[in-house]
Amino acid sequence: MLPSTSYTRDRCVTGVHGLDEILRGGIPYGSTVLVAGTCGSGKTTLGMEFLVRGSMTGEACAHFTATEPSVKLLENIRQYPFFDMQLVDTGLINVFDMDVLYSWLGLTKATFELEDVHALIKAITDIVNTIGVTRLVIDSVTTLCYKIKSEQLIRDFLFTLGKKLSTLGCTTILIAEITSATQNAHWSSFGVEEAICDGIVVMGDAERMGHLIRFLQVVKMRGSGHSRAKYALELTPLGVMLTPMLKWGSVGDKSAQWGL
Amino acid sequence: MADKITFSLEDEEFFGPKGSFGIPKFDSSLEGGIPRGFFVIAIVETGSGAELFGKQFVSPAEEPDNTLYVSTSETGAQIFSIFDKYGWPKDIGVRTMGEEYNQRVLNKELQASRFRLEGFTMPDIQKLAQTRFVDDEAEDFLTELTNEIMSLGHYFRAVIDSMDFFFNREDPSRVLAMMRMMQAHTQMNRGLLLCTVSDSTVTKAMEQELEMLADMVLKFEVHRMGNEFDTRMVIRKFRNSPENLAIISFKVTAEEGITPETVQRII
Repeated sequence: MLPSTSYTRDRCVTGVHGLDEILRGGIPYGSTVLVAGTCGSGKTTLGMEFLVRGSMTGEACAHFTATEPSVKLLENIRQYPFFDMQLVDTGLINVFDMDVLYSWLGLTKATFELEDVHALIKAITDIVNTIGVTRLVIDSVTTLCYKIKSEQLIRDFLFTLGKKLSTLGCTTILIAEITSATQNAHWSSFGVEEAICDGIVVMGDAERMGHLIRFLQVVKMRGSGHSRAKYALELTPLGVMLTPMLKWGSVGDKSAQWGL
Repeated sequence: MADKITFSLEDEEFFGPKGSFGIPKFDSSLEGGIPRGFFVIAIVETGSGAELFGKQFVSPAEEPDNTLYVSTSETGAQIFSIFDKYGWPKDIGVRTMGEEYNQRVLNKELQASRFRLEGFTMPDIQKLAQTRFVDDEAEDFLTELTNEIMSLGHYFRAVIDSMDFFFNREDPSRVLAMMRMMQAHTQMNRGLLLCTVSDSTVTKAMEQELEMLADMVLKFEVHRMGNEFDTRMVIRKFRNSPENLAIISFKVTAEEGITPETVQRII
């Protein structure tokens, strides 16, 4: 039993079914979490539900979309009953198109230099600070980082952004696209994101009894204990639902590699 | 291959084989003016009066709605005040690309600098969150200009003052390609097109290309003679009429604008 005087960090309760239990109460406030997943693994839905649950308790939320136009994103997400367009209309969830932000900042070049990266960090932190955003999703950091020339600059960008957002008390999800969630130990496209982020959540597909099952696994979460098991992820009309994956019936050695 | 253009007899009679420079004394010294279909390049020195010459060139405006004056440095108000001063028609088409550039490009750059330096205000953020599409299509003033010239009909008259704006912002070979299209359109439609370019803007090789392309090449020069300036127009090329090559000294008068004083033939 832990001593009663032990210190526990305040948590940002995600509100996503099953995720807070995995994280022993939620994401430590101000953390930057990398959610890395293969295509179709439910990253965007998870990120949006994280914002919806926060906004329903009155938190100001922001979503930066670089992968698809916000119009398309909203059209897709509004099919889920858990999402209410009123949250966007009333300004509790603020959806920003990265293309529009680039244009407003005059970032029209194909690749970003140091000063462009600084301008982008300043713009994002300005928005977070002015609105008082406590939950932020960038979808995806992979698309955004493709515009940044060097690995060092990507590292600086993510580190500085994460630090500033943390200082502002903003819990951030950086969505990353990966090609495989099971074949190797890389959870990011550039290899630097995973080292800088406070937490890593991996999402992908696992084959079970001839079925392809979406799964989620928390690999790392600084400042918090957490389950390291794989959880089956269902995209239901009520949102993401996580349930423990059973150990039996897994295919090949891949499950053993992931500690199941 | 482009269809052969036919011109009505009525138009042929009305416009005639030559058009006026807008300066009667020039017309008479060049056997009635400038042949229809001519693409004219004016290579100019600063302060030599070429801007005024350009305005005077459109002043005959045989068909005002088929006459266009494009300026890349002056405002509409400045241009019309000159037209007013000399009593030249103001119902022609005038396009001020310099003003448009300031509005469409520089203002956006200024705004971007403000956002970068001062950050976003709450109204800015609200607007940003509601903006779903990037509205700034790549600005291509050169294509716009070419399309505008190509949309002019038979016997049009147009001036572009000056091509420096495009040479300074675009790949020179692209500017030249667009000028070739404008030249072909001018020739086919028996139009008159004058393009000015500063002598310091283009390289010697580019100047030679322009001279080859043009039907007529004018060089505007200004020399200091004691306490006065001597302004001259040198006709360096006149396609198929080398006898018209000349050095024309001119002055600017309040009544007539550019007025030739002496004509010296180049033999």
